Formats: sequence, structure tokens, C-alpha cells
Amino acid sequence: MSLDDFEAVLHPAFMAGLEGDAAAYRRFLDLIGGRLRGFLRGHLARAGLASAEEAEDVLQETLLALHLSRHTYDPTVPVSAWAHAIARYKLIDHLRRSGRHRGHLPIEDEALSQPEPGGAASDARLDVERALAALPERTRALIDRVKLQGGSIAEAAQAAGMTETAAKVALHRGLKAMAKILTRRGTRTP
Amino acid sequence: MKTDDLVTLLASDAGPVERAGFARATGLTAFAGLAACAASVLLMFGPRLDLAAALATPPVLAKFALGASVAGLALIAFQRSLRPGRAAAGVLALVLLPVVIVLAWALAVLTMQPMPAWPALVLGRSWSVCLVLVPLYAVLPLAALFVLARRGAPVRPRLTGLAAGVGAAGLATLAYALHCPEDAVPFLATWYPLAMAVAGGIGALAGPRLLRW
Repeated sequence: MSLDDFEAVLHPAFMAGLEGDAAAYRRFLDLIGGRLRGFLRGHLARAGLASAEEAEDVLQETLLALHLSRHTYDPTVPVSAWAHAIARYKLIDHLRRSGRHRGHLPIEDEALSQPEPGGAASDARLDVERALAALPERTRALIDRVKLQGGSIAEAAQAAGMTETAAKVALHRGLKAMAKILTRRGTRTP
Repeated sequence: MKTDDLVTLLASDAGPVERAGFARATGLTAFAGLAACAASVLLMFGPRLDLAAALATPPVLAKFALGASVAGLALIAFQRSLRPGRAAAGVLALVLLPVVIVLAWALAVLTMQPMPAWPALVLGRSWSVCLVLVPLYAVLPLAALFVLARRGAPVRPRLTGLAAGVGAAGLATLAYALHCPEDAVPFLATWYPLAMAVAGGIGALAGPRLLRW
């Protein structure tokens, strides 16, 4: 799929997601996730790191970052360019954090226009899992329930004995906290 | 966690996203920063004694124009740099334009004066005060801009920091011009841009350290 064709399906899904359409937003996440998986695997492989698990880690961190940065989207920019810039930042940050980003890593801006074969999802290593484990027990339990209920907050809230509004707030705060933990992990200076 | 599970979680947190507040935030922060700078300049040093008479003279207007244009351009670049995919470096480079204009004006003034008068025209009586106070005042808006930047997504934190530093110095220039008693164009063409460069350097150094996300 050319970048224009990709943008033509991605953009409406994302914009509907911004308005609160969860199904469209899910479609956006699936679409961009597949595309970025190929991008990240390709670049990690070129950096001599052909680990599918590592790519999945960076992908998960990127998806979380995309989710929490939705308000920074500028409508004059293609959604794919916005997502790509964030993925690129997270990839460089990941390499730098693990001490392997020595100087210049050629991550050209046009990289997304030549999609790399993404392949199927692989297992992540444990980064997101570890961030989840660092959350307060109550939040973690809620997130596990939402996951088990296939994304239904109403059912998860009921099972946790919370109101739906409280569950929504707690879930959002939990995701933010996970992103923060992922950012801090492995920094050499505390 | 499987990526698919994470996507399920994220989709369940979909909700409508409020974006207008973030779009307005840079302007509001800059306005508040400018007000804070001007208030502290006026409280600590007071306005220059002849402010009312000097306000409409070319050197004072030049200081305001320099500060306003540099602040405006740098803050546009800052705002864009918080939005991934938007180019910001080009707008930031435009701040060189007003700087080059005052430099050219300063050279024209100097060539019309005998060489022995040059040091007085460039150094004035308070060059070191200007060089210290403008970056110092810039710290106020700079701190506010960094707090704001953490709400954005700075994918080029050094550029964001540089733009914040230069923009904050532009705001500080506007405020300090209320006090600054120097009216020689060579003075303002030398020390104000240098002070802006110092503040920009501070921002560029701090950006990658303070704006990780």
C-alpha cells in the first residue's frame, strides 16, 4: 500500500478516534502498529539488532506514546508522519538508553514511505509488563480486568467495585504512569 | 503483554481528545512570562527615567521590534516542535533576519562616526548588565515554556530547548527595554543578540536533559 493510500485509511480512523469513536481508534492502532512494526524491525536489523522481541518492545512503548500524545497532532501534517516522528524518537531513545546509539544512526524521514514487511506480532520482552508491575495494586488489577474483558470498562469497573467514571480515570492515569516508568527505565543518571 | 492486549487497553481509553487548550498554551504562557518579566524589571530597577519621551525614538522602538520579532518567531518554532511531524527549524532560523537587520544598521551608524567613538557606542555604560540581566530574566519564561513542553511531544528536544531559550530571551528583551538606558544602535545590536544566544544555549543544553519523555 502506498503511503498516500495508507494515509487515506489511517487519517479518518484517527480523526474519528479523536472524537471518541473507540472502534475507529482501535482500527487506527492496528493499522499504525502493523506499519511501525516493519519500520522498527527494519531499523533495528540495520543497526545489527535483529531481535523481533526488541522491536515489539519499542513498538509497545511507541503505541503508548502515540496514545498519550494525541493532543499534539497537528491537522496540517499527515497522521502517518506524526506517528512516524514519534516512533523515530522512541527508537533513538531506546538505542541511546541501551548504550548502542553511537553518533549517527541513519533514520531517514522518508523511511515510512517504503513499508517494510512487518510480519506477525511477536512476543515483547518484558518492558511493558514490568511497568505494569510497578503500578499500585488497585490500578494493576483494573488494567488486568479491562484486558480480560476485552476492553470493556463497564464490566471491569463493575468487577472492581468502582464507578465507570472512576475506572476510566484510573485507567488513564495508569497508562500515563506506565509511560513514565518506561521513560525512566535504564537511564544511567537517576 | 501482547501488543494486541495493549491495543485493546489503549482503545478502551479512547475518549474524545481536547486539543484546543494545547494549541493556545504557548501564547498564554508567553504572555504570562512577558508580564512576569516586565513586572520584575519595573519592580527591581524601575523604568528608565525618560521612558515616556524615549518610547517613540528609533533605538527604543528597535529594541521592542527586535524582542518582539525574535520572540514571535522562536515561539512559533517552539510550538511547532512540540507537534511531531511539523518542521520547526526553518522558522527558528528566521530569527537571524531581525538580528542581521540591526547589525547592518549598527555598522551604518559606526561608519558615520570616527573610530575613537566606536568603543563607547558599542560598550555603552551597561553592556555587562544587559548581558547578565536579559538571560536572567529569560529564566522566568524559559521555565514556564519547559513545563509546557513536557505536555507536548518534543521529538527534537534540543531544538525545542533552543527555541524556548531564544523565545524567552526575546520576551526578556521586551521587558528589559523598559529599563535599559542605552540608545546607541551598535550597543543594542551587539549585546541583545549575544544575550539571546546565551539564553538559547542554556535552553539547548537543558532540552535533551529535561524534556525526555
